[in-house]
Amino acid sequence: MLSQPRTVAPVDLVVPARRSRGLWYETAHALLRRRSGQIGLILIGFLVLVAIFAPQLATHDPLQVLIDVEPNARRRTPPCIHAANNLPAWPLIRSFQCDPTMPQHLFGIDGNVRDLYSRVLYGARVSLRVGFYVVFVALVSGTLIGSISGYVGGRVDNILMRLMDIVLAFPSLILAIAINSALLQALDTSLLKAIIVGLRQVLGFEDVGLLTALMAVSLVSIPTFARLARASVLSIKEQEYVMAARALGASHSRILLRAILPNAMAPLIVAATLGVASAILDTAALSFLGLGARPPTPEWGAMIGAERNQMFTAPHLIIFPGLAIILTVLGFNLLGDGLRDALDPRMKNR
Amino acid sequence: MIATPRFGTVLVALMAAALVLAACAGVAPTQPPAPTPVPPTPTPVPPAPTEAPMELLSVSVDSCDYGGELKAIEALDKYTVKFTLCFPDPAFPAKAGDTALQIHPAEYLEATGGTGQLLEKPIGTGPYVLSEWRKGDQMIFKANPNYWGEKPKAETLVFRWSAEAAQRLVELQSGNVHGIDNPGPDDFDVIENDPNLKLYPRAGTNVFYIGMNNTYPPFDNERVRQAFAMAIDRKRIVENFYPRGSIVATQFMPPSIFGYTEGLDWYEYNPEEAKRILEEEGVLPGFKTTITYRDVVRGYLPEPGVVAQDIQAQLRAIGVEAEIVVMESGAFLDAADAGKLDGFHLLGWGADYPDATNFLDYHFGRGASKQFGNGFPDLWEVLEKAASLSDPAARLPLYKQANELIKQHVPMIPVAHGGSATAFQAVCQGAHSSPLGREKMAVIDCGTDTLVWMQNAEPISLYCADETDGETFRACEQINEALLSYEIGTTNVEPALALRYEANADLTEWTFYLRQGVTFHDGSEFDANDVVKSWEVQWDAAHPLHKGRVGDFTYFQAYFLQFKNAPPSE
Repeated sequence: MLSQPRTVAPVDLVVPARRSRGLWYETAHALLRRRSGQIGLILIGFLVLVAIFAPQLATHDPLQVLIDVEPNARRRTPPCIHAANNLPAWPLIRSFQCDPTMPQHLFGIDGNVRDLYSRVLYGARVSLRVGFYVVFVALVSGTLIGSISGYVGGRVDNILMRLMDIVLAFPSLILAIAINSALLQALDTSLLKAIIVGLRQVLGFEDVGLLTALMAVSLVSIPTFARLARASVLSIKEQEYVMAARALGASHSRILLRAILPNAMAPLIVAATLGVASAILDTAALSFLGLGARPPTPEWGAMIGAERNQMFTAPHLIIFPGLAIILTVLGFNLLGDGLRDALDPRMKNR
Repeated sequence: MIATPRFGTVLVALMAAALVLAACAGVAPTQPPAPTPVPPTPTPVPPAPTEAPMELLSVSVDSCDYGGELKAIEALDKYTVKFTLCFPDPAFPAKAGDTALQIHPAEYLEATGGTGQLLEKPIGTGPYVLSEWRKGDQMIFKANPNYWGEKPKAETLVFRWSAEAAQRLVELQSGNVHGIDNPGPDDFDVIENDPNLKLYPRAGTNVFYIGMNNTYPPFDNERVRQAFAMAIDRKRIVENFYPRGSIVATQFMPPSIFGYTEGLDWYEYNPEEAKRILEEEGVLPGFKTTITYRDVVRGYLPEPGVVAQDIQAQLRAIGVEAEIVVMESGAFLDAADAGKLDGFHLLGWGADYPDATNFLDYHFGRGASKQFGNGFPDLWEVLEKAASLSDPAARLPLYKQANELIKQHVPMIPVAHGGSATAFQAVCQGAHSSPLGREKMAVIDCGTDTLVWMQNAEPISLYCADETDGETFRACEQINEALLSYEIGTTNVEPALALRYEANADLTEWTFYLRQGVTFHDGSEFDANDVVKSWEVQWDAAHPLHKGRVGDFTYFQAYFLQFKNAPPSE
């Protein structure tokens, strides 16, 4: 393509404005009309609130060991809510009833004599942040790789996509385990040290194990986004308005960033929302295996992993963090589903 | 409970120096040093004159300068073996009863080349014959019809394993298995309250400790280590995180083992004082360190993760930020052994034989590994002196001195002697637990043809001469036998393949009179040559059959200090 020496008249290259109240308004409107979108938004909204207000909502310090601090605090005691004693002893309620002389713990006490409820609340902070960070990294790098690959095509496309294929060929969790183990092995190297220090500053996580898990899960999530971005870019770059922009002499970066990507975002947004769910799940799985969050970080997967042998003697230690994971993943999946429908033009006005 | 699995690696380097290790002069309190005839058959065995003369094997070294304990092993006749030692060793019978020194058929050792089939399909004299080993699933044994002793109660014995305490308990409750090892601490009550199950507590012949390496600052400062000793509330850890039957450690030695000092107490728990000292020494504020452990359940540490987190919380209370690092078991032991752990590390030790040398010399003797950094010469001297004596009354005060020196130097903080247990169906007659973790399945009668046992982990191989893992030893115990054995449920030595033994006055010559008419599982006859050969392949590092699984023969070296023809140490 020839570069044009003449200045191009300012033409709006983005989608010609329709008679509407804007894409975002319409999407939000469509999303809220759908049951899955509603429930997803409510769940996630709830979790975000819990994460933000964890210090206010928590009854204890999540790291505080209650031995010698609280009388009668025995480890792995089941939930105890005094108010529940006034209610009828139905099965679910009964499991929260207890002797009034015992200290109150909404979700019971964990194996290290800490308040489980507070730990699960703080766990929301950890998991949501992990989910968002992972998706942010994967989305940005995936989109970059995918759009360059799709836009440039040819050998670059070939190389980049084969790389992505290699990563995709492994089961993601197993690859994440491998990458994480490799990172943990290499913790002494100065490069990784610097990265860890940097990440600590930026993300505010102290936990090295969590940081390496985050990197590992991010890496294995990239290909999904790269693939999607490439597919969208490939279909969009042949459209008339892109041709027009090209004919008018817009630079490559302008075409890619202003003309193509905004219109390629819809599937990426859906994938990102679903990606948060799988990132949280993968990180929890790594932590469950002892490869992610390090004690005493209140991470849900790690909490379940630490108490897996108490499945029968103290099931509350598994159930509550488990429920938290389920709700979070469900929330993001429902929202992602809703978004997909809402962003799909064919589904409009149905 | 045999040495912590793969503790072997520690021992290897530990012994490589092959300096003192006074194991040599160890005396079990239960073992009077004088020749101890073990009853059943009183007749010593004269060589049978009618038989065709057999070629009697013997091995020896020219001089004791090579650094080991053994001087010669000779088959005097078909059923008599004489061991000549370089120096007195009252603990020799206890060692000879160890699973690592079991007797294999000489021909089979030759045929397998000391490895390969030997690891998978052992041939022994024991009550059970290995029938099938489904790797990763189970191990099946059949009763040995020609067993010299009491016939096994169950025709078929099955070993299964699961690392998860919850699974073991569920399998026991559902009746799928007859017995399990190491129920989780919280499951003790569940088992005791279940009329169908019975718990068999195992005394804590072990110690769990928090190790420190004195080559890394600030642990190079004795006052700092003493301060940390005051900062850990050991009682709280034992009360909250250990099963019943566990006791707070006051020293490295468990109370049931010779060498324990009555009345010695550890530093009083005093976090304020600890903090004051640490501030005075400039360690606080701002000290950051690590707590390293392996996520492996042992009798001395039933819940590693929980205990590590509690120690972390206790340290935080005095202002020390400790990061928890979990390492893979083998890598962890190697790193500890090489002195690479610069923070705290959580480890323990279980008795192999009931003597102080098994605990103190291994860890704090001159030849000990770098686990605690540079050793303490004053402690070396006391331990060496104690090991050179044979009179318990003379040794005990020396061990008191040693235990006090350990308290002063604080190479580690002893925390607990962990109680553990086995659990069986209540109907099982003869069910028991062994303090050394070597339960004898042959005596257990659950009224069924098949006895199913579930332990923590799969045996690594079945040639226990080259293993160190307790789970592995238990399997070997069913198939092979050593010269002596341990009485059920105790640490006392009883006759096995040897009917009796005697020693000369200065305890350097031990003569074992073997049981006659014993056959191996393949039908071949057991005789003195099998004993000599089984010991020789371990002893002689240059022997073509000195192979095993990895060729470490850790226990042999630990017991007898040095191999014959040992390659020059690196």
